[in-house]
Amino acid sequence: MNTIWALAGVVIKELYRRKDFYVLFVLTAVITIAAGMVHFFNDPQIVNYLKAVCVLLISISALIITIVMAARQLPAERESRTIFPLLAKPVTRAQVILGKFFGCWLASGIALLFFYFFFAVVIGTHEQSWPILNYLQSFWLQWAMLGVVTAMVLLGSVIFTAPSSNVTICFIVIVGILLLGRHLNVVALHHSEPLRGVIYTIYFLIPHLEWFDVRDRLTYNWPLAPWMDCMLATLYAAAYAGLFLLLTWLGFRRKSL
Amino acid sequence: MLLAVCFTLATSLQLREAKRNNPIQSNNVFKLLLGEGRRLFAHEFYVMADVYFHSGYYPSIFDKQENQPAVMAAVRGESDNDEDTTNVDFFGAPKDWIDTFGWKFRLDQHTHLSNGEEREILPWLQLAADMDPQMVQTYTVAAFWLRTSLHNPKEAEAFLREGLRNNPDNCEILFELGRLYNEDYHDANRARNVWLAALRYWRAQSDDAQKSVENKRLCDAILVDLANLEENAGNWLQAIEYFKMAKPMSPNPDAIQKRIDEARQKLAEQPPAINTPPH
Amino acid sequence: MDAILRTENLCVEYRTHGLRLEITPALKELNLSVRAGEVFGFLGPNGAGKTTTINVLLGFIPPTSGTAYLFGIDVRQPIARQRIGYLPEMTYYYKFLTGEELLRFYAKIFGLPRLEADKRIDEVLKLVELEQARKHFIKTYSKGMQQRVGLAQALINDPDLLILDEPTSGLDPLGRMKVREIIQRLKNEGKTVFFSSHELGEVETVCDRVAIIDQGGLKAVGRVSDLVARHGTNLEKAFLDIIGYQPQSTP
Repeated sequence: MNTIWALAGVVIKELYRRKDFYVLFVLTAVITIAAGMVHFFNDPQIVNYLKAVCVLLISISALIITIVMAARQLPAERESRTIFPLLAKPVTRAQVILGKFFGCWLASGIALLFFYFFFAVVIGTHEQSWPILNYLQSFWLQWAMLGVVTAMVLLGSVIFTAPSSNVTICFIVIVGILLLGRHLNVVALHHSEPLRGVIYTIYFLIPHLEWFDVRDRLTYNWPLAPWMDCMLATLYAAAYAGLFLLLTWLGFRRKSL
Repeated sequence: MLLAVCFTLATSLQLREAKRNNPIQSNNVFKLLLGEGRRLFAHEFYVMADVYFHSGYYPSIFDKQENQPAVMAAVRGESDNDEDTTNVDFFGAPKDWIDTFGWKFRLDQHTHLSNGEEREILPWLQLAADMDPQMVQTYTVAAFWLRTSLHNPKEAEAFLREGLRNNPDNCEILFELGRLYNEDYHDANRARNVWLAALRYWRAQSDDAQKSVENKRLCDAILVDLANLEENAGNWLQAIEYFKMAKPMSPNPDAIQKRIDEARQKLAEQPPAINTPPH
Repeated sequence: MDAILRTENLCVEYRTHGLRLEITPALKELNLSVRAGEVFGFLGPNGAGKTTTINVLLGFIPPTSGTAYLFGIDVRQPIARQRIGYLPEMTYYYKFLTGEELLRFYAKIFGLPRLEADKRIDEVLKLVELEQARKHFIKTYSKGMQQRVGLAQALINDPDLLILDEPTSGLDPLGRMKVREIIQRLKNEGKTVFFSSHELGEVETVCDRVAIIDQGGLKAVGRVSDLVARHGTNLEKAFLDIIGYQPQSTP
């Protein structure tokens, strides 16, 4: 475990020493604050649009940070040849993958925490209320989703040669799942076999990341989702992340350095 | 560099052309940047207002669409019975365990904003109006909620006047303005003048335009409100005339006929000196 | 004396899948044995199989057949690398870390407790003369400094076996001298050093025994003095003779 946490620590250091996080945070902050300075019809109590803008920016930024960071890990180790002094230590390839995974996931969680803190401060000053549990639940579910995303992108980094291809393809897949994932069963009904079977297979195989997107609950002030269901969703995310990591390990251990 | 030059030329030539053709429309920066594509954005922002009105519980393009027109009437404040529309189910029963579990996290109750929360739809209506100043319903819907639920007739009036600047002689906006003067400022004379202007402009439309269902309803609403105004002022004859004009336009002519009969009854009960001739 | 490093009939073949399968033998039944406490030079022309041998010893690539052992443990077990240090030929490390952070990272991998790691980091930084630059990011290091931090990370766990791949590559004469001094110091401490190099002058100075490999096969192994006595006046001539180099006759 020491090895895995040591590797994770290096990934986290990389996050706060690279500029990606700061650029996205500043962009989110600037857009949110600018949007917050607009008063529609001189009514300072209008706040839901600001919440929607802010959580959307947070979701996009968190996805960008996670995908780009995870896509970079293994290829960068190979290209910069840092993989050699690393694997020359008593480290297995499985530990490298786990270390990279936990590092990326923790780093994305830290970034998300900063974003949510900013969100709470900005919205709290407008709404004069701080539904902490709602923020926590949204943060937790989003972080669980980013775990699946991290594992998926790590798998992609073993399959695709170039990090840019991996980033592009993963982005398309993840955004596609978020926007269309829950509708595939309806789409399947409108087609005949064998296309219906194919769509249904995709529907049942993909990780349903849209479960974890509870932005609407924050924006429209809905009550909390049941905690038991959140727990089940977390287990679901853990299962998919585990599956993707297993596949990553199977691919990585055969790959030449 | 070539791209920058082309973009600059396109926007400056567009500006000149627009100024030459239509001075009112050329001031819109979104039209300059987006062209006619801004109308798509305006439509989407208008739909967002509806989404916000329903607190996020809203069908996507994959869900049931047949009930949408009735439900969108709610955001325009046209539903008689809020409960009827909130019983509409957009989505149907879950189709599988994934759907069932997904519903634990999704918004699952059909509600309408109330008690001042309707303010949350206003930014989207403002944006829709900015994108497409010719989208008249953004002005009328926003003004409706501003004056009825948010008790802000000043902002409602200002927004309607902005709509009139962008859409001169528009009957819907004039009608809503008249309602504002009547119901919020209790200025019957101003309301009458504005509604009469709306009626004039309505009659100036082409025959085909006058025949559309929505246009007929608008005319009916103008005439009924004018009739109510005259009834409140005790001008029964004038009120009856307006009701008679409204009857062929109304979706419920029996109710109009009933109003005519009631007005005739009142007229008959009045002393002769009070009856002013219709204008 | 038990061999610290041992290969038995080690074969490595590279398979390339083009229009047809091509098999390139990189190592052919290599049998090597390195005893504890000796400085062992591993020589050969470019493409002889030196880096392939090191890659197998470090577990980077699996052998096609045969076995290799470090401290009697099969090299495919990660624990075999617990007591070794490795300096790669190309020294690239995490540019966003400082020298000290890099060493602390590797110390953690070896499971060194915090206090011991601190002490060890101070020692190796002093040894490679990078104390002043410990808090600087590695991306600001010169080539020589990167080589030295590489040496430091190879020594962080006080290894019993040091595997060095071209340790003086890219270093100026002063740097090379310092590396030679470090190797000598390690030898005096009873450590085993296994290194490949093209600098035959250095090899002749520090090594107890050398092995010469060419086209994947072991051509000669023994003490430097014995090889020189048998094949030439100096190690370079002996090397050329062993690999069968024939100078082209001038017209």
